[in-house]
Amino acid sequence: MELICIGLSHRTAPLTVRERLALPESRQADVLQRLAQAPVEALWVSTCNRVEVYLFAPNAAMARQRALTELQGLGGVEALEHLYEHQGEAALVHLFRVACSLDSMVLGEAQILGQVKEAFERGQGAGAVRGELMRACAAAFSCAKRVRTETAIGRAATSMAAAAVQLASKVFDGLAGKTVLVVGAGEMGELAARHLKQAGASKLYVTNRTLSRAEALAAEVGGQARPFEELLGLVAAADVVVCSTASQVPLFTRDNVGALGRGRRGRPLFMVDLAVPRDIDPAVGTLDWVHAYDVDDIQKFVADNAAARAEEAQKAGVLVAQEVARFVKERALREGTPVLARLRQRAEAIARSEVERTLGALGDGLNDKQRKSIEAMGRAIVNKLLHEPTARLRAVGPEGEGNRLAGAAAELFGLLEEEVGTAAAAPSVMAAPVQVATGGK
Amino acid sequence: MSHTLVSLACHAYGIAAVVYLAYLVRQSEALATAGRVLVGGGLALHGVALFELLGVQSGRPVGLAQGFSALAFLLLAIFLFLDVRYRRPVIGAFLTPLALAALLPGLLMEGGQAPLPPGVRQPLLPLHITLALMGLAAFAVAAGVGVMYVLMERQVKAKRFGLLFSRLPSLEFLDTLNRRLVVWGFLALSVTLATGAFFVGTAPGPWTVDGKTLATLVAWAVFAALLVARSVAGWRGRRVAFLTMAGFCLVMVSFLASYDVSSPSEAALRMP
Repeated sequence: MELICIGLSHRTAPLTVRERLALPESRQADVLQRLAQAPVEALWVSTCNRVEVYLFAPNAAMARQRALTELQGLGGVEALEHLYEHQGEAALVHLFRVACSLDSMVLGEAQILGQVKEAFERGQGAGAVRGELMRACAAAFSCAKRVRTETAIGRAATSMAAAAVQLASKVFDGLAGKTVLVVGAGEMGELAARHLKQAGASKLYVTNRTLSRAEALAAEVGGQARPFEELLGLVAAADVVVCSTASQVPLFTRDNVGALGRGRRGRPLFMVDLAVPRDIDPAVGTLDWVHAYDVDDIQKFVADNAAARAEEAQKAGVLVAQEVARFVKERALREGTPVLARLRQRAEAIARSEVERTLGALGDGLNDKQRKSIEAMGRAIVNKLLHEPTARLRAVGPEGEGNRLAGAAAELFGLLEEEVGTAAAAPSVMAAPVQVATGGK
Repeated sequence: MSHTLVSLACHAYGIAAVVYLAYLVRQSEALATAGRVLVGGGLALHGVALFELLGVQSGRPVGLAQGFSALAFLLLAIFLFLDVRYRRPVIGAFLTPLALAALLPGLLMEGGQAPLPPGVRQPLLPLHITLALMGLAAFAVAAGVGVMYVLMERQVKAKRFGLLFSRLPSLEFLDTLNRRLVVWGFLALSVTLATGAFFVGTAPGPWTVDGKTLATLVAWAVFAALLVARSVAGWRGRRVAFLTMAGFCLVMVSFLASYDVSSPSEAALRMP
């Protein structure tokens, strides 16, 4: 059983490619069900900056092929050129780094953890995340928590929304007296609304396809909720527009925004698109009075400001390494124990049968004390013989050597064949020593 | 005496220009303060020298060199006011070199005063010249701010988040500052034109349109059109910045046409 990760992110793929892979939640469940056919487990992480598939499978090559087919089906052949892959411990490290926001566009931003948790819950709901992947995710979440409390990365970092506000300050001399429109009342919209209000925006409108969500957010941040039908009218009145809807087609095109130009009399409009797929057609930015930025532009912007967070990221990286090592060790122990237990069982069974045979051959001439002595000798031989291998297996820990030794023990003592037979009868994927032998890394 | 003072002021401006350019690269409050003190000190020395010199010349600069010197003085005075008022020292990185550039031709060029039409009422002349120079300085600062706007807009549009992007003030600030400066410059230019017309009206003989008058009238028309377009049609941003630069060039032509560059005079050699 091996963990693999295949995906693309803001580091490897342009927005146009990421857009194509951004699946609505309803379709994610279908993909998950296709990918996670037992014993394979699958996790589909999709944010505006990344689309990643994590697979825990006995046959990595086959699972990989299946994931590639899915990704190609969604994003075309071009998507394959931008993919990265991690396998074994590297995949685990990547999962941890993503959850800890060390691979984020805005280093240390808090949103990604929530997004991975959502992906995890969706996976659980679809029955695609069950055993080992569930444990890996749980460990990644607790690592993220540790990183957040033990380093200053969260404090130093800003979210995409905060970066958007910073960008707005290059167009406007502060947001006082400005009208701000937040389109989409999701998590990103909420963050944007908070930052904009904090930055002193005088008027804040929130609009959302479901008005009740807009109302809830508006009430929370002190803005006004408006029906989605008024969208263009609201843009006409706004100075800053931040959108983050799940719309599959752009809400704003050069035509419908351009038509507002006359009424604005040259008043500049700053638009930030935090959505993937994009809510603002790139052509909108060619209007003279519009300054439109999408997630990739923001990435470019924050990348230039990232130096300050680099040190904290380094500390966080050390924590991630520690946590991954701990997880791997625990897993190896979990997986290694059956080998030891089975070895002991086998040895004890042999000892028992030999003792019985000896006792049978000696007949009734033995008294109880002698009988007990022979039984104790059998147990003692087993204990003494197995003491050293047990201690060694436990001592070498989870790293490559541990797995190798456990695998070797399983093979030497003929535990493999026995287990394959048992596993076929009752498939207990995680506990099968065969996986220990092939290495769970 | 005045020569020494201006020379000292010149050095102060030069160092200030370097300090402000350093501020552009490395924003530090100490650099901003140093720049402010240097420009302030330079202005004080320069002001004393100008006062002394113009006092003996019945209130008007004689020769191109003095004209440029007075222009640089006013330009930096406006800058210092803006710096104290808005606390955007980065503007200094653009304006102090511009002021130095205005001072340097004065060191190299020599030019005599164009002959005044006979009968011009002398008491109004210093007011006319001072306002003309103030208008010119305001337009020079507005043009400098316009250059900053164009540079910044280019960064914002092209999404280049480099040094200029992080250091320059917001587009809105630059545009508003441009508008204010153009309004003040336009008022000064209007009064200059009015007093000029008054001189022409009181002078005997037929009135002929010379290059200076033409350039001034065209510049006035450009700025008038710009202000109308701003308030009526909502023009702003890059278009306005370019128009400001064009208008400034016209006013500059009018300024240069006020001096007879071909005939060096004794007065021109007296001052850098």
